[in-house]
Amino acid sequence: MVETVKLTIDGHHITVPKGTLVIEAARQVGVMVPHFCYHPKLKPDANCRMCLVEIEKMPKLQTACSTPAAEGMVVRTATTVVNEAHKSVLEFILANHPLDCPVCDQGGRCDLQDFSHEYTPTTSRFIEVKRVFPKEYFSPLIETQMNRCVQCLRCVRYCDEVMDVKALAPSGRGTMTEIKHFTHHELDCEFCGGCVQICPVGAITSRLSMYEFRPWMLKRADTVCTYCGDGCQITIQTKENQLIEVMSAQGAGRNNGDLCARGFFGYHVSTHPDRLQHPLIRRNGELVQATWEDALEWVAETAIRLKLAHGPNAFGGLIGARCTNEDLYLFQKFMRLVVGTNNIDSSARYGQINGVRALRRVQGTSRWTVTFDDIVSAEALLLVGTNVTETNPITGLKVKEAVKKRQATLLTIEALEPAVGTISNIANLAAHHFSVQPDGFKPAVLGLIKAVVEENLVSQPLAQKAPGYVQAVSEAVRRLSWQAIERATGSSSQSFIDATRSFTRTARAVILVGQGVLRAPDGSGLTATLLDLLLLTGHHGLPGCGVAPLAEENNDQGAVEMGAALEYLPGPSDANDQAARARLAQAWKEELPKGPGKSLMEMIEGARTGSLKAMFIVGENPAGSLPPSAGTMEALQSLDLLVCQELFLTETARLAHVVLPACSYAEKDGTFTNTEGHVQSVRHAIELIGESRPDWEILSALSVLMGYPLEYGDAKEIFKEIRSLIPGYGLLGPAPTPPRPDQAVVESYLKTGYSSGLAERYTLGERRAASGERKDFSLTLLVTQTLFHSGKFSTRAKGLLQVQAEGAFSLNPADGTRLGLAEGDRVRVSNDLGEMTTTVKLQDRVPVGLALFPEHFDQEARRLLRVSTDPATQVPYYKSASVKVEKAK
Amino acid sequence: MLREKYKAEIDEILSRYPLRRSALLPLLYLAQKEEGYVTEAAMKEIASILKITPPQVYETVTFYTMLNLRPVGKFHIQVCKSLMCALVGSDTLLGWLEVRLGIKPGNTTKDGLFTLSKVECLAACGTGPMMQINDDYYERLTEEKVDRILADLKRDGTSSLKSGPFMWPERTDG
Repeated sequence: MVETVKLTIDGHHITVPKGTLVIEAARQVGVMVPHFCYHPKLKPDANCRMCLVEIEKMPKLQTACSTPAAEGMVVRTATTVVNEAHKSVLEFILANHPLDCPVCDQGGRCDLQDFSHEYTPTTSRFIEVKRVFPKEYFSPLIETQMNRCVQCLRCVRYCDEVMDVKALAPSGRGTMTEIKHFTHHELDCEFCGGCVQICPVGAITSRLSMYEFRPWMLKRADTVCTYCGDGCQITIQTKENQLIEVMSAQGAGRNNGDLCARGFFGYHVSTHPDRLQHPLIRRNGELVQATWEDALEWVAETAIRLKLAHGPNAFGGLIGARCTNEDLYLFQKFMRLVVGTNNIDSSARYGQINGVRALRRVQGTSRWTVTFDDIVSAEALLLVGTNVTETNPITGLKVKEAVKKRQATLLTIEALEPAVGTISNIANLAAHHFSVQPDGFKPAVLGLIKAVVEENLVSQPLAQKAPGYVQAVSEAVRRLSWQAIERATGSSSQSFIDATRSFTRTARAVILVGQGVLRAPDGSGLTATLLDLLLLTGHHGLPGCGVAPLAEENNDQGAVEMGAALEYLPGPSDANDQAARARLAQAWKEELPKGPGKSLMEMIEGARTGSLKAMFIVGENPAGSLPPSAGTMEALQSLDLLVCQELFLTETARLAHVVLPACSYAEKDGTFTNTEGHVQSVRHAIELIGESRPDWEILSALSVLMGYPLEYGDAKEIFKEIRSLIPGYGLLGPAPTPPRPDQAVVESYLKTGYSSGLAERYTLGERRAASGERKDFSLTLLVTQTLFHSGKFSTRAKGLLQVQAEGAFSLNPADGTRLGLAEGDRVRVSNDLGEMTTTVKLQDRVPVGLALFPEHFDQEARRLLRVSTDPATQVPYYKSASVKVEKAK
Repeated sequence: MLREKYKAEIDEILSRYPLRRSALLPLLYLAQKEEGYVTEAAMKEIASILKITPPQVYETVTFYTMLNLRPVGKFHIQVCKSLMCALVGSDTLLGWLEVRLGIKPGNTTKDGLFTLSKVECLAACGTGPMMQINDDYYERLTEEKVDRILADLKRDGTSSLKSGPFMWPERTDG
């Protein structure tokens, strides 16, 4: 029971939880107390003095933003005394404010403007000269105009409390306080845009939309960001079909109004001049412009001819998980019914499938059993291979909130060294951090499980319910020696024991699994092992507890649930689940194709050997993502028909016979399913660019020409069909309702299911040479995601290119010294597959022995990578390689 | 690099505080003692010692007038301009110094001897107007006294008119 207090505000009686601030209580009864420095996300600072109110029995006016409501309090916000106070505070602020509203981008949505209109007489008693700060260049994306600053320090506090970046410094004191970065250096930070959004006046604004608009000119569309699995709600603001700016209202969406650089500054992709505006068809070896009619008819004719000659299984379909659920659903329906094959795959194959497989195997769900809110209210959090700040920045904010505001215990197993840098580092917040190489994730997890077993921390109810399981796992970890685990992880047995103790004593625990696990060999197995950990500690199945594999692409989760995978039907149900097949056949009024179907790598192999003749590729670029050693280019070139639906002429599209221009997320309607399984509406913000069309519309048109019409009036109609077939798509509320673990599946896992693959899951695996032992010039190259880009897509966003326009070879300064490399040096990186030349960047956060290169600029780096395919989940792994490094001549 | 030169001192300073960040001001004094002012390199190094960001060090340096971000002369004259001193004529004193030194507050004389600064209260309100030169206080100032002090400093590098350094809190060991 939450303790409450009753108070009266301007005659309204209200009951609020104890501890609620008067300003918040007032808001609840519709009384707006003017303020600058207060923000619900930040700790009260009470520095602006704007929110003064009268409280009975208190001798002086009080700041509503820092006074907690108390029983029987009587607050008045609109008395003469209060109004006088507002006036004097504004008079002080305006004594220095330049009143340059006509040239200020905040004009029209400025708190100072609004309050001035409401409270100030038009004259001032100040005759002194106003302060003038010399104008300084601040950064390529963020503009400061310090003369306008009201010194509320919201930006500084946001940067520290919420983002944990601490890049802004209030320099000087008193009226001469000025927001700066570090002396005269330009800003170098996460560029989340939070300071722009939180500034109540026009002191900090975006340079991408400078002088282009007045707020009332803008058309708004609430939609969902497409740059990672977090699924942040954004408001795209446009003027005459031009993208002007992106913002996210306080409290909006799963992100609660917070964004990252990609979301805030990365929106120009949709209107990039390279966008394909017309269908292209290959004539005499060249891709030339064609009409939609010609292009579609040619595709349909060729497809029908090939299907007659080689059968439906000579076709393959691949779709990107950036597409909407409607696109994904229609794509798999198109492949299964119109073409008649199960050769379907999506970019969820690169990793998401691993997580879903493990969840389905152990607990019978295809989604998280927790939500972002459970991360925030968790008492213990374990992050494994996430690098959460860079891959899923907003999930990262939830973790930061849990740790910084709610004192959760954070355990991290990451290929990260704790170090302060220009962007935040989740390892800095960890109570127990295990800094390991990527091949050390598994040994570290096993170390935690060993500690659970050996310190007698195994849940008693579980030990009684499933003695066989507990015994099998206990024996498996007892066989591993602490020495071997210590060698593989570089951490002491005591540190595992301490970490485990602090994890097990909490009531709410969440484990986040990142790309470092999911996109690495046996990602599915390690995710299952993490579920074992939660089962053993007794957290599994408790409210607010669960294992949460992070989605990399915005609709990875949707791709799986829509059945855009050979092994899953919409639901997802297993492709060989007879009941599900029958249900679907009834709904579709057609039998489903039989046979196993081919995965991404099998399709490429099929194309190479000639068993696959045609491919439909929608919004995916295997030739540009997979390393050349996979032979994707050659394989795709030997196809008789390659149809690409794309926004840009990608490496894959360049090989196509026909390229059909698709539209971007900013131009279409539909839904995305984010990493926590929350289905959210995507709404178009601008009209279609050129002749581009939504992907589902193209597929629908093709289906008609191929003689099996899948016709829908709009995306909503497809969604209606999805809704009738897939649980969890019924109600689109403000927050997801996560599924509960399926007890029948859990029990069967505990009885027998655990045993398959147990031996492999509970071995330490091969270990590469630890850094200390390296005498040669070799490093482990890891091609990773960075905070400022998302795949190759965002490398066409002009804002993001201003922050990061090329790749760099990041390594630890100690390795730099060992290899004789300094910041900015050119290096030659090579192995038996190839070589590349790039620039060195020394970063404290990169562990010794490791080198990072961003995947967004990996055209050359990819040459060094080798692909291996997981035999069980068909996931291709190609993110790491052993390389030799030397200074370029 | 401070870390190499003053390792023992830095360790001792860090050992005084349960929170690392609390050592910021003593470390800044150390850096200032080394170079006469706080350099960018020193701020970055201190940030890395304390595991905070350089902007967090910078904001602290800019808040305190006793920390200099630019090189100062051999004698750094800091004149109190707060209310108590102002009531007994600190502005006249400052004007006199400006005339005598030929510089405005914030500047250094051409010979590199004197830097003139206006600062907030130095906690000698009973003996104003007053100023601090390097570590020493000079109190109950008059124009004649100021002239003598400047002449002494130029000639001897010290002046008998000083009332000594401000009392630093004594260390209480154990």
